[in-house]
Amino acid sequence: MLELGMALFSGVTGALVVASLPKATERLRRAVVLLFSVTGMVFSWRVAIKIFNGGNIGIIAQLGGLTWSLDPDPLGAMFGLIASTLWVFAAIYSFGYMERKTRPQTYYAFFLISLSATLGVAFSGNLLALYFFYELLTLATYPLVIHERSADAVKAGRKYIIYSLSGAAAILIAIVLTYIWSGKIDFASGPILVNTMRPGLNLLLALFVGGFGVKAALMPLHRWLPAAMVAPTPISALLHAVAVVYSGVYGILRVVYSVFGRELMGTLSLARKLPWVAAFTILVGVIIATQQDVLKRRLAYHTISQLSYILLGAFTLQPWGLGGAILHMISYSTLKVTLFFCAGIIAERADETAVSRMQGVGWSLPKTMIAFGVASLGMVGMLPLNTFWSKYYLMRGGVQSGQWSLALVLIGSGIINAICFLPTVVASFQGEKAKSSGETGGNTMLMLGPTLCLAGIALLIGLYPGIVWPGVEAVVNRFF
Amino acid sequence: MTAVIKTHLPVFVVAAPLFVSFLLSPMARRFGWVQSLVVGVQGLGLLLAVYLAGMILKSSGVPIIYSMGGWPAPWGIELWTGSLGAFFLLVVAGVTLPISLYAVNNLSDEVGDATRSTRFFVLYLLLAGVLAGMALTNDLFNIFVLVEVATISCCGLVSARRGPNAAKAAFNYLILATLGSGLILGGIGLVYMITGNLNMGFAGIALNGVWQDYPHVVWMAMSFFLVGFGVKAALFPLHVWLPDAHSTAPTPASAILSGLAVKGYIICLVKILFGVFEVHLLDVFRLDQILVLLGMLAILAGSILALAQGELKRRLAFSTVAQVGYIVLGFGLMNIKGVAGTLFYLASHAVIKSTLFLAAGALISATGKTHVKDFAGVGRKMPITMGVFSIASLGLVGIPLFSGFVGKWYLLLGSLEVGNLTAAGVIGIGSVLCAIYLFPIIRTAYFEPAPEDDWQDPGVPQRLALVMLGIAVIGLGVLPGPLLQLAQKAAADLLIIP
Amino acid sequence: MKILLGKVLINYPYFAAVILFAIGSATVLTRSNLFKKLIGINIMESAIFLMFIAAGSRRDGVVPILHMDDSLRPYINPLPSALMLTGIVVSVSVTAFALALIVRLYRFYGTTDAKRMSDIRNGVAKE
Repeated sequence: MLELGMALFSGVTGALVVASLPKATERLRRAVVLLFSVTGMVFSWRVAIKIFNGGNIGIIAQLGGLTWSLDPDPLGAMFGLIASTLWVFAAIYSFGYMERKTRPQTYYAFFLISLSATLGVAFSGNLLALYFFYELLTLATYPLVIHERSADAVKAGRKYIIYSLSGAAAILIAIVLTYIWSGKIDFASGPILVNTMRPGLNLLLALFVGGFGVKAALMPLHRWLPAAMVAPTPISALLHAVAVVYSGVYGILRVVYSVFGRELMGTLSLARKLPWVAAFTILVGVIIATQQDVLKRRLAYHTISQLSYILLGAFTLQPWGLGGAILHMISYSTLKVTLFFCAGIIAERADETAVSRMQGVGWSLPKTMIAFGVASLGMVGMLPLNTFWSKYYLMRGGVQSGQWSLALVLIGSGIINAICFLPTVVASFQGEKAKSSGETGGNTMLMLGPTLCLAGIALLIGLYPGIVWPGVEAVVNRFF
Repeated sequence: MTAVIKTHLPVFVVAAPLFVSFLLSPMARRFGWVQSLVVGVQGLGLLLAVYLAGMILKSSGVPIIYSMGGWPAPWGIELWTGSLGAFFLLVVAGVTLPISLYAVNNLSDEVGDATRSTRFFVLYLLLAGVLAGMALTNDLFNIFVLVEVATISCCGLVSARRGPNAAKAAFNYLILATLGSGLILGGIGLVYMITGNLNMGFAGIALNGVWQDYPHVVWMAMSFFLVGFGVKAALFPLHVWLPDAHSTAPTPASAILSGLAVKGYIICLVKILFGVFEVHLLDVFRLDQILVLLGMLAILAGSILALAQGELKRRLAFSTVAQVGYIVLGFGLMNIKGVAGTLFYLASHAVIKSTLFLAAGALISATGKTHVKDFAGVGRKMPITMGVFSIASLGLVGIPLFSGFVGKWYLLLGSLEVGNLTAAGVIGIGSVLCAIYLFPIIRTAYFEPAPEDDWQDPGVPQRLALVMLGIAVIGLGVLPGPLLQLAQKAAADLLIIP
Repeated sequence: MKILLGKVLINYPYFAAVILFAIGSATVLTRSNLFKKLIGINIMESAIFLMFIAAGSRRDGVVPILHMDDSLRPYINPLPSALMLTGIVVSVSVTAFALALIVRLYRFYGTTDAKRMSDIRNGVAKE
């Protein structure tokens, strides 16, 4: 109870504190942000550990004539844990990044509100609470997307809002349908629609997947994501590689395993096509990524592709597939945030955003490019890195579900991933030393620190995958 | 003594504002008195409305029937305080009070000196009283009279501002509304001819026995009512008068016109359709489908037209056209959840739209600008106004825990219960469009730099009114309890479900 | 044909009402002169008054005042007439209000024609 409340409200409280101190020094503001993100993280961890050990924490509220419940299960706890942990890294990185940017107060306030909204999505115990926090997340991240206030940013923000709200409208209709057909909306008592056999379930699934698919950037609903890359880098990293897009992915996982349940999913004709939608997104996303010259856009399309790995694992409806999906949620997020952080450092220090002009950047920003290289190797799925394991489980899941070709898709995508990133890394260490302000200076350390740290964590999980296994196991056991 | 007051409560609620409105004119020289009298009468009205609603809730929907002059029903005129009446009375009283509070000391810019402002208040109180009458009346001809008085006072309010635009808008409104009244009167005549009754209950009973002999007359009467009230309630495509009228009217007038007057006509229409023709006949004549279809058209067309408007008040006016669509659609669903949802939605929209218009008026009078793009940075300069505006916008879009969401939730429940996925889809699209036409205003207000002008929140009564309404938007969303119960009872009464 | 004609003849007030209503509403909707619009409204309302009163009237009916001698003879229903008195009052007040508005518009535009008014307004907007 207390842990849950602390985790959930630390962000909002922090935002209020930041908002009520308009004249605070940068130092004080940073301290507040750090304090509240760490609080959020600590209590999310405590919630997660309690849940993984079979505990139960729930809050139920009757508001607006409807029931709202917060009742995390292992899947939600895992999502909360990933998000809140990366939030702290992003906060520290932001301190460096925002040093020379304007409007830090607005930025940090909404940064912290988004933390609360994300944890709300993670901890929600019924569809209504999930919907509420999902909407809240859209609204809270919108100011961050348009933080630059340029015409491009405003346009991107508009696209983001329209896509997200349309998705949310579809979800709301789907929730109402679910409620009418089954009479309940909470996740705790097994899959909601478990004994419902009736026509129209395919349509319901399409509404749900379409709605959450917007945020999960499932093709063809992905167009807002590359546009939203005008946001400040920590935001692109955190929100558009992890928090926001994961809330969509998480929503789909919930729908598949908690609303329909895997038995019912297995009987739906649409459910059999969904892995192929994901496979299509994986391949097309990464192929488009190879053609992007702006690094952040390349990373955006790459995100689109990687998110569908997780969805693919979930859609196989196999324990290995789900395990792989959860593992990929953990490992991919560490690597992707690293990549984005590197892109931000390159843009800030070497003033370079185009991939084709990266020659020599490696000499001036060696640590950044090494972290970038490590993360790139991870994206390919090389062994000492954590994504190797997740891809391995995903493939096993694909094979287990009797669809060999899905494994082939993953292998193919790995190869294209290599084409996508490795030449850049190699090129950056060739040619003359590029113009750059180097990696020294206080704010660079604030940016570089979290980056290297995350790369290290990725390596660590790769070498000892056992440290995250209990969590993954708890999630898989919950549904199988 | 208390017993006497209690028995005459329904008629007092209606008559008090009407009576006071006639007292105002001679008092024009003491404008302070006029204002306090208006606010006082509205406050008293709210108290009484709450009391009546509480009584209805406590007796779980047993109506309080008041026969005017002591003449019983088929001969005399009845005031029927059922759950629907109490519900709408509560909405009217709850919204008119903050609007009149907003008008205090704030009319000199838009309306003129004390004499003109007093006249404005006369019309305003007339409208408030007539709306209360619409909530309670149970007599067809009474409805006609109330509708006419409402029309004339609405037109008067629209023309309260000086200048030709207001007069033009008022004239167009008057002509079309009178056309609508003619149709309504025709419909009443047709019903009277085949039933011999003007009391709605008795007319309904009589109609039940004879409708098979006069199917064409019934059909004609229904369409007369639909078109007649449709014009007055700005049901798309009969909305042409609304944008001009609602956007040129002085701010408090826009708020009451868009927030309440339009709904008064809808409540009358619903009373006639469900009270005289009853669900069975509506079903036979497929009126449910017609209402749903009209509602969907209005939602889509109204929202898209609103999107095309650059002027803030015009955009809000077109938004009303769209929202009327939601309300009409909900009545067409003809199940408890849909009708209860639509009633709640009506209440929430009454609050939200008056909030939006009042806040917009405050913005416009402070900045002197009217275009939606002109309000850069007002969020910081006028925090209360813009904060309330944002709350109301979120409510209109239907974000959970704001009042609009509860209504939308029940509307969706209702439409999906009858298996109408198209209607549900249109409701969803409507919310998205609503966000598209309202959020950019909020974005420019908060996220764009303000010019160096000295803009300020309006005076104390205005702020109080805005805050009251803002709290109502959230309050209805978080704790809709009693109002929702009342709406459900009213829906059960309308659909004749025990 | 004969039957139809008979029906028309018997119910002639209603047909007159329909024709009047059509004339009135057509005038309102098609004429751009504000006075003509107003006259149209009045014609239309008279049509409805006519319909109402016709509904209450009876062939060979007597005045609905109780006489000791002929209390059994059918009388004319007084209610519609009474209602139409109210209706006429309403219609007069609408007319008065509309005329006041027309005066105000005429003072500004110097015309009572809606089309010309909008021309002037657009012209003003252009300059």
